[in-house]
Amino acid sequence: MFKDLDPILHSQLRLAVISLLISVKEAEFTFLKEKTNATAGNLSVQIQKLKEAGYIDVIKQFKDNYPQTICKITNAGIRAFEEYVQVLQTYLGKKG
Amino acid sequence: MEQEEKQLSEKESLELITTMINTAKNSYYDTGIGAIMWGAIVAICSLVKLSEIHFGFRLPFDIYLLAIVAIIPQIFITIKEKKERKVKSYDDTYMDYIWLTFGICIFLLIFIVNNISADLNPLVKDYKELTKGRIDWVDFRFSEFISPLFLMLYGFPTFITGAACKFKPMLWGGIFCWTCCIISIYTTIKIDLLLTAASAIMAWLIPGILMEKEYRIYKKEQAILNV
Repeated sequence: MFKDLDPILHSQLRLAVISLLISVKEAEFTFLKEKTNATAGNLSVQIQKLKEAGYIDVIKQFKDNYPQTICKITNAGIRAFEEYVQVLQTYLGKKG
Repeated sequence: MEQEEKQLSEKESLELITTMINTAKNSYYDTGIGAIMWGAIVAICSLVKLSEIHFGFRLPFDIYLLAIVAIIPQIFITIKEKKERKVKSYDDTYMDYIWLTFGICIFLLIFIVNNISADLNPLVKDYKELTKGRIDWVDFRFSEFISPLFLMLYGFPTFITGAACKFKPMLWGGIFCWTCCIISIYTTIKIDLLLTAASAIMAWLIPGILMEKEYRIYKKEQAILNV
């Protein structure tokens, strides 16, 4: 019996964001936008969903008079990502 | 990635994770300015000191004071680089601490060496006068053993940075410092100073120039992408 893949993470853009954030301490919104090639609007929506799930922290501040958004993965986000990868591996193991 | 809810197959998911992790890992570029500055300063200090000894002149100030003055622009460089970074990696934090540790160790070593010299030099001088040159080892000069200690320290953060950031010029620079460290144990102070200058050039100046070049290319690519 396989566990279901976390629906929050099992979406292209949200998974891309979490995969980026798992590798770094923190990243600016512009960095995530640049690396995922997503539009600002779409990325904002997906970041909000990840935040509501408690997977990431979003810090809004000002840098040189411009608004700056910094995203950081939480411990819950790390655990969810690890579990997601484990479930993914069991699926692939079964298929392989 | 325009389709916000595009469902992925398991294989696609794994591929996406791998791609993004690699993208994040390769997203950090050092400007190389700090490395260029320190490479040049240490090389200049060593060469000026060598000239002082060789040509028998003395500057009205100790040339190594330049290294202390250089801390001020280094602080500004660090602040500017941190401001420009859009991403903070775990490696950055470790590297910051490694170079901070190195800076502290250098100043401690200067302090230790000055204290040993102050205690040892009058002793050696007295012994020299007492034996009137009959014993060979009295020709011992502590100053000739200072450079190997510094070269040993120069190699440590350089090698770690080169290995951790997979930047070969710095890795080889670190090894070069340690090679010069061994050689300088057996050479005179003039050669020691030359080896120190060569180490600074190999460990920091040249890798710094290469880093700066890579950073400029990266900035250019970013500018094209953002058009």
